[in-house]
Amino acid sequence: MATYSSRIGAAPAARWNWGSGFITRERVAPMVAGAVLLVVWEVWVRTHLPDFVARPSGIAMAIPSTIASAEFWSDVAATLGAIIEGVAIGSAAGVLVGVAMGRVREIDWFLSTYIRALYALPLIALVPIVILWVGYQPAARLVIVVISVFLPVAVTTADGTRAISKDYLDVGKMFGARTLNFWFGIALPSATPFIVAGIELGFARGITNAIAVEILASVNGMGMSVFTKSNELNENASLVYVLCLAIFAVGIRSLMIHFRHWLAPWYHR
Amino acid sequence: MAAVRRIDSFESRLARFRIVNAWWIRLACYALSIVLLLGTWQALGHSFGVLFVPFTTTMGRLWDMLQSGPLLPGLAVSAKLYGVTLVINIVVGVVVGLLLARIKLIAAAFEPYIYILYATPTISLVPFVSVMFGFDFGSRVLVSVLISIFPILIGVTEGARSIPRQHLDVAAIFGSSESQLWRDVIVPYVTPYAMSGIKQSIALSMVGTLVAEFFLNPDGLAAVLLQGTTIVDSGWVLAVTIFICAIAVGLVGVGELIERYLVRWRHTAVG
Repeated sequence: MATYSSRIGAAPAARWNWGSGFITRERVAPMVAGAVLLVVWEVWVRTHLPDFVARPSGIAMAIPSTIASAEFWSDVAATLGAIIEGVAIGSAAGVLVGVAMGRVREIDWFLSTYIRALYALPLIALVPIVILWVGYQPAARLVIVVISVFLPVAVTTADGTRAISKDYLDVGKMFGARTLNFWFGIALPSATPFIVAGIELGFARGITNAIAVEILASVNGMGMSVFTKSNELNENASLVYVLCLAIFAVGIRSLMIHFRHWLAPWYHR
Repeated sequence: MAAVRRIDSFESRLARFRIVNAWWIRLACYALSIVLLLGTWQALGHSFGVLFVPFTTTMGRLWDMLQSGPLLPGLAVSAKLYGVTLVINIVVGVVVGLLLARIKLIAAAFEPYIYILYATPTISLVPFVSVMFGFDFGSRVLVSVLISIFPILIGVTEGARSIPRQHLDVAAIFGSSESQLWRDVIVPYVTPYAMSGIKQSIALSMVGTLVAEFFLNPDGLAAVLLQGTTIVDSGWVLAVTIFICAIAVGLVGVGELIERYLVRWRHTAVG
């Protein structure tokens, strides 16, 4: 009999097994769906849209020539290099400011107005003023990535270090901890899951905003190439870049999840 | 002697210095930070000239632009896109989210692609969208929705999946029909998840609106911002940025009100 719980909610895995072993419906379904999506895309573009529009077969064919070009690798190095550099700077600064805000409430009151206002602001709205100040330069991209990472990391670190259970602090006091021990020995490790979540969010925003700056400020990089290749009616090559960006974004996301499990195994969410 | 060294950390000294519930210290911190920032801005503005106009000039520009400038017409254009985006996010996000929880084979089939689409920077899809659908309002809505729908969609799916079996089995034992099941069990259980998704989407829809306006033939507030960059007028750009920031803070505030209401509701629901 079909119960309600089999209609909605977590299904017992056994229900979905055909036979047994590796090939289950859950494993086959995404492959079938992916194949259907690709075929529909391919057929739709071939029958309804002009020739230059990207389609799966065209993208697959464009991969070797795109990856072989020196331009591709210089774009990848420029964009991903700026993102990684920006994340490093932004998260280091964010952790320092966040711990100070979390542990000293006067600092929190002093800074929170600006941090929260900037955190609420879609950072893409900051791109024009940054371009105006920094110029149409790669540095504008770095500045925006740093800000995109700094804000979420500062906010999550402050939240994480503020809410430390009193037991830890008492134990620390008993063992004669000094301020820096409190901050970096107790507060920071117990805020690890928050900090990693902040960096993860910052990474996602940093990637998006880096691309936005490249296009608005005409800075060479992957985002710029996505748009120029498309304007040259070479959409397939443009989509190869998008594919690389997607792989990078998905990779970073899963890396961060592993990171959190590794750094904070006690934290389940 | 080291063993009896007095433990006197910065934090404990600070704690002794603090007066319990000193609301005026808090107020003083806020006031000091605002005065310092505005003072620095004003001073820097006077020494930097064209690239960084003083605070008072910026406020004057903002006032002028509100009175007769492009700000309010731009806001009207952006608000329309924002409203349409948010409504589509809520309707489509909730419906598709419930379907994904309800029809498990479809969920298993499409979930990986939904997550990949979520992780992909949507900006990079803009050229593709414009080739397929043009530069009109419809493609702006599409880009904006792609940026901001996922918190609702994923939240509703996970909420519906986490309904405890007992709830569903109790409903089954009491012989509730499909419509009763939805009304009495599923909808009340999923509502908090949907609301926290909506809270995030309220803020994200603004990001989506601005991105769509920046990259699909500039329009609305984004166009007003870019206009200032082309004529290298920092007063203009600063004024518009502050205006957008004020709207964003307001929207985040609305989201937090929803969440506060929600938290109370959740407590009463748990009992």
